[in-house]
Amino acid sequence: MHIRDCALQDPAFAQLLDAYENRDKAANQWRAGGGKVVGKMGFDVPDELIIAADMLPIQICADPEKELKETNKYLEFAFEPVVRAQFEKLIDGTYADQIDYLAISNSTDVIIRIYLYLRELHRQEPERPIPEFSFIDILFTRHRLHQTRNEFVLDLFRKDVERWAGHPIADEDIRRAGAICNENRSALRAMAELRRGKEVHISGSEAFVIISAGLFMERTAHTALVRAVTQAAKQWPVLKGPRVFFTGAEQEDTTLYEMIENAGMVVVGDDINWGDRYYDRDYNTNYPVIRALVDRYMLREFSAKKATPQERMGALDWEVDAAGAQGVIFYTHLYDEVACFDMPKQRKSLESRGIRHITFGRMVWPENRNQGLQEKLNQFAEELKAEGGDQ
Amino acid sequence: MAEERKPAGSKSTVVKKLKATAAAGAYQKQWFFSMKERVEREGCDFAILNADVPMEIFRAMDIPFVVNQWWAAICSAKRMGRKYAGLMLENGYRPDLNSYDSQALAESFDPDDHKVDADGNPMGPWGGLPPVTIAITRLTGDAQNKIFGLLAENHGAALYTMENTVARKTPLNWYELAPDRWEELYDKDRLDMAVEELKELIRFLETKTGRMFDMNRLEHVLNLINEQEGYYKKTRDLIASTHPVPVTVVDTINAVMQAQWQRGTEWATAHAKSLYEEIKALVDKGEAAVPNEKYRLMWLGRGIWQDFGFYQRFEKKYGAVFMWSMYLAMGADAYIRNHVEEDPLRALAARFIGMEDFLHMPPWNSSWYLQQIKQNGIDGVVYMVPENDMQAVEGSYFIKKALEDAGIPVLSFNADPVDPGKWNAETMTHMVEEFIEKRIIGKETNK
Repeated sequence: MHIRDCALQDPAFAQLLDAYENRDKAANQWRAGGGKVVGKMGFDVPDELIIAADMLPIQICADPEKELKETNKYLEFAFEPVVRAQFEKLIDGTYADQIDYLAISNSTDVIIRIYLYLRELHRQEPERPIPEFSFIDILFTRHRLHQTRNEFVLDLFRKDVERWAGHPIADEDIRRAGAICNENRSALRAMAELRRGKEVHISGSEAFVIISAGLFMERTAHTALVRAVTQAAKQWPVLKGPRVFFTGAEQEDTTLYEMIENAGMVVVGDDINWGDRYYDRDYNTNYPVIRALVDRYMLREFSAKKATPQERMGALDWEVDAAGAQGVIFYTHLYDEVACFDMPKQRKSLESRGIRHITFGRMVWPENRNQGLQEKLNQFAEELKAEGGDQ
Repeated sequence: MAEERKPAGSKSTVVKKLKATAAAGAYQKQWFFSMKERVEREGCDFAILNADVPMEIFRAMDIPFVVNQWWAAICSAKRMGRKYAGLMLENGYRPDLNSYDSQALAESFDPDDHKVDADGNPMGPWGGLPPVTIAITRLTGDAQNKIFGLLAENHGAALYTMENTVARKTPLNWYELAPDRWEELYDKDRLDMAVEELKELIRFLETKTGRMFDMNRLEHVLNLINEQEGYYKKTRDLIASTHPVPVTVVDTINAVMQAQWQRGTEWATAHAKSLYEEIKALVDKGEAAVPNEKYRLMWLGRGIWQDFGFYQRFEKKYGAVFMWSMYLAMGADAYIRNHVEEDPLRALAARFIGMEDFLHMPPWNSSWYLQQIKQNGIDGVVYMVPENDMQAVEGSYFIKKALEDAGIPVLSFNADPVDPGKWNAETMTHMVEEFIEKRIIGKETNK
């Protein structure tokens, strides 16, 4: 466990850890209080609209222990393992008891297919307890035409949210929600400085808990806890070890980061949606409200799924520099491998700048089922240390 | 449903090779060399397009191009697979990912592509592609940006991507709406958007090539395609209504697929006409592909390019004939858009935005297969489910369920359609034999 005692003893961190570990807790409380909860699948569902409607957005997540009794009937092997496990909870009734509605964004191929399958399943088996869902067909090609299209698409989603909420959403409420989300992002950025600064006070696992707790709790409360923990962490002991950047497979828990940390490395940055990408780019409160949503979700850093290898190479170079990483860990799951097309250029660019890297491909999920992974991470850490990467 | 037509006194001639099939194979080589010679002579732009890019625009603007998947088939036929896998590995890429779509990318790493060996034979497939200056794909899958991004970079070509939107409206009878009532078939905003995408593509191509787009020329191209696909419709309807069938998928797959890559040309239209006339003559003479035809089989999935003989292994023993594949039927039902003169760009948009969905999106695919089963009098379906290609994922559970609920026996299995190494002919033959015996003949016996 690489959540240190200094973190566990901090009251703010303890609350964040509780939200991270008990992911349905805040949603249950919210619903018990008469509020509505919207589950999000994909990483381009605009929280701002849901919050503006006084509803609680929470991220759909997998249960690594759950048997995929239903899913294996419906999904082909090509669906990646984490999404398969998410699908199980969507169709077996688990989420029907936790959320009121489901918003799905066009973030990757596999998520689009999940939407199509849910739609067909609902058509064929209307009695199955699947929450009512809406699809957000947002596009990522950076042309004016697609920007305009995205405004139309988010307007459609706004109408769905208004219907779910049972009342119209005023522009000023969206702006207010935008400001709430910006405040949250700002707090997370300040936290990240302690993760990737010259002196590292927050480990990758600790940062993961701090960031991802926000996916399951009310945003203003999350911001307050992040601010409090950031203040406290300034006094936490400085972490030593080679600084590494993680890129690739989406993580939903700290298992892999803990293995990296067990090897003696410090995860100073990542490009996953439960990590640094979560708080990238603010909502522009000076723009018309829908335009501002398009601006935020269309123009933040490219996801691994929606960019060319050239764009991904540039993004990784920038992120590694910003984090001051000495090594990069490339990691992909079996059946979630499109990022492999980016890696040769990325590796070449890193090598030209003297940054070491290691690649793990065709990995199974959950991560602790990969034999030999810890040993290879240990070896990589030793190589970095031998090069003077032990700060 | 078409009226059933049984030729009197069916003769025993087995038709396994139509003239039109051979003609299509010969033409594509001749066409490629003539196109390549033109590009090299004129030094003009040359494009590589993904299969779902509206090639009609390039045809209308007289910009030479090849389709990525067509070229992959040529590379495969020229046995470049092993070499290209090695080139991908040498350059740091996984050869097993999207291997079919990545053949041209692998070729772009080959330093010998345009060289000849000691005997003077070209080392690249047909001497390699001419210099690629434009690479265009639609973002219908996460890998498209990657493959075409790298392809463009390796060739020093301009990359252009077109977006893809997801259907909200999904009327089950798309095959009835598509030819004339596409405004009812699609969400209006998706069509509007696709038209704007076409206008932007045209502007890009005008700027890149210096050629000006001509709407009348596009209208002509679209009309040629309607005529070509109209012949496929007549051919499909004729085969469907004839017992026993005059031809099997062994002939129709290749005859249609190769000509589809040439759609919008006078040659392709004439070829489709000749295909129909040749099959019609067989029907008129009472000639059957399998005179002892007892069971009509539908093949769902991509063609088994590495083992076409597979389709014929069940004819003699069981009288089971593979008479339906998507290749001819898609030509018949998915391409025709009438009255193009009213708005050629909108008619074209109404074709290209649906093409992937007709095949890969539930419930459009399953509802069409059901309708085709009825029209063709199908007794059983053999369904190859793509093993590891997310872009080809199509709701196989829903397809199988829809068909079986309608009382049609379905044999489904997982396979990689482009990897001969993973294809076991003996196992497959045994599996289909067992299916015929237990599920089709057995069903008949139990009636």
